Amino acid sequence: MDTLTHILNGFSVALQPINLWYTFLGCFLGTIIGVLPGIGPSAGIALLIPVTYGMNPTSALIMMSGIFYGARYGGSTTAILINTPGEASSVMTTLDGYQMAKKGRGGAALAVSALASFIAGTLGVVGLTLFAVPLTSMALKFGPAEYFVLMFFAMTAVSSLAGKSPAKAMISTILGLMIATIGIDLQSGQPRYTLGVPELQDGVGFIIAVVGLFAIAEVFYSMEEMTKGIRPQMIKLQGRLWLTRDEWNRSVIPIARGGVIGFVIGVLPGAGGTIASILSYVWEKRLSKHPEQFGQGAIEGVAGPEAANNADTAGAMVPLLTLGIPGGGATAVMLGAFIMYGIQPGPLLFQNRPDLVWGLIDSMYIGNIMLLILNLPLIGLFVRLLYIPSGILMPLILAISTIGLYAINGNPVELYFGIIFGVMGYIFRKVDIPVAPMVLSLVLGGIMEQSFRQAMTISGGNPKIFVGSTITVTLVALSVLSILLPYLLPRLKAWRDGSRDTA
Amino acid sequence: MMADRVIFVCTIVIAAVYFYATTLIPTLEIGDPLGPKAFPRLLGVCLLIGAALLFIEIWKDRKVPQPRPAPGPRDLRHLWIIAGVSVWMGIYYSVFEKLGYVVATTIFLLVLMAWFNRGKWLANVLSAVLFCILSFVMFVKLDVNLPRGVVAVSWISDAILVVVNAVITAFKAIFS
Repeated sequence: MDTLTHILNGFSVALQPINLWYTFLGCFLGTIIGVLPGIGPSAGIALLIPVTYGMNPTSALIMMSGIFYGARYGGSTTAILINTPGEASSVMTTLDGYQMAKKGRGGAALAVSALASFIAGTLGVVGLTLFAVPLTSMALKFGPAEYFVLMFFAMTAVSSLAGKSPAKAMISTILGLMIATIGIDLQSGQPRYTLGVPELQDGVGFIIAVVGLFAIAEVFYSMEEMTKGIRPQMIKLQGRLWLTRDEWNRSVIPIARGGVIGFVIGVLPGAGGTIASILSYVWEKRLSKHPEQFGQGAIEGVAGPEAANNADTAGAMVPLLTLGIPGGGATAVMLGAFIMYGIQPGPLLFQNRPDLVWGLIDSMYIGNIMLLILNLPLIGLFVRLLYIPSGILMPLILAISTIGLYAINGNPVELYFGIIFGVMGYIFRKVDIPVAPMVLSLVLGGIMEQSFRQAMTISGGNPKIFVGSTITVTLVALSVLSILLPYLLPRLKAWRDGSRDTA
Repeated sequence: MMADRVIFVCTIVIAAVYFYATTLIPTLEIGDPLGPKAFPRLLGVCLLIGAALLFIEIWKDRKVPQPRPAPGPRDLRHLWIIAGVSVWMGIYYSVFEKLGYVVATTIFLLVLMAWFNRGKWLANVLSAVLFCILSFVMFVKLDVNLPRGVVAVSWISDAILVVVNAVITAFKAIFS
């Protein structure tokens, strides 16, 4: 019953007025970030890290996670009203949500999004609460070799699931690891790849990379669209923000299914909200009695994916808090934040600072309630944001990015690095190289190398340590599976479709 | 796809440069057996494997004929604009500390807004000026150090802080 005490203590932390304020602030900012195309939660959290230096880490992390799951709520608003996902994981919501809006059922689409997000988000946090403790006791058995293979698995999982080309994802991952090696090597004190530039001795900060790759590159992409004259078509909100009984009945089970899918995908390192919502959509379409309605305004196509991408946020917190391994882009940035505050997430965190970790988890219950209120009755407020012309918004985002970059160390050289990463991110996007693997490997790169070298030191240079225990063997097997997956899946599908045709 | 071939070549070049740069790392004879070069070498090998996989993907795609409309000068216009924005950002950063946050950012924003939100002078000026003033005050209050510029311009930033502080004090006086 020790855990139960901790959970209840967590509520006493989360319900402190200062933390309630930060939960609200995080959810509010997160909704705005989710609604505004051009900036996502990863960049938003990265920009806030320097600002939070003086704050209590618990409060700062509560705010950041509020931004993380809040953005998933907000992203559906633009998806439904402008046919543009405000956030990557809302891409499936555009398919049927926009169609519903065109048919005058926009209010219902927004309502079901908010409700699905709330139900699945809350259930997801329940899952997080239940899974956290058993996982930490397993995590205590992890040594450097186990951690290395776990991170290796995370990277193979991201590579195989990110986009169409596993080769490009792999290149992106390795490039990130290479960038992570820039700086003074801690174990030998030797400078690596610093090119005589003193600012590079501490390595390339991941905040600079995230702001450049996500915020600045995204602005460049929006500017390209503006230049090409691509203008979003916004649909005015008509009707009430509520569902008919029939729509609700059709949505309940997709929400439940989406929630489970989302949570499981979230726990998997590498797979994120986008994959969760895609899987939920595909699943709902396959299980539906009227699949031809999907793409024309089927409410199941909104309820399922929205539930999935919110349950995914809770799932992604599981490996982050219990093992210190991020489940995706935004959690990778949060891991970076933990490191900056000098806190190591993992089993020891649960033992040494239960107030922090349970305060954080319990704040998510409160946050979901706040977001339901922000997204249902108050949605009009956020819709107004969409009326800001891009020509004003994009330069403002660049200015905010500048503040964020400068706030890290007050060093203008880092601003230039930001531009470099911005251009890199833009080029990568044009040539279809996924950026998320690079961010993940940048954050994990240093730790990964340390674990590698520690493990080799323990084993005296014998690489067999990486297959030496049950955990490592399982993880190696999973890694191999995820490497082969993109090559096996098309064949599995073809085989199954072939056998279905002949049956 | 043409771009994939360019990526392939670039990847090989990067791997080669990285391997070369790795040899430049000074090694001590004492210390852990692996040293600072081991992991980078491993990474270099993995990058080449990635390039090889990319080559296989390019090879597979060769059989599929790709429709390729020739890009005219109009189609590449956005690339020039983005290059221009990057250069403008570079200029902004080079004078950031000298001109101070408020002045530099206002000019930066006005030019960008004049290009991307053409004709709407009032909205642009209001947005740019208000944003700079408000964000400057907010971040100074949050203990983030934004530059005020050399003596010739720092009076602007100081004046803003004085005015805003006075306004806040006045509000507190009225409402308490």
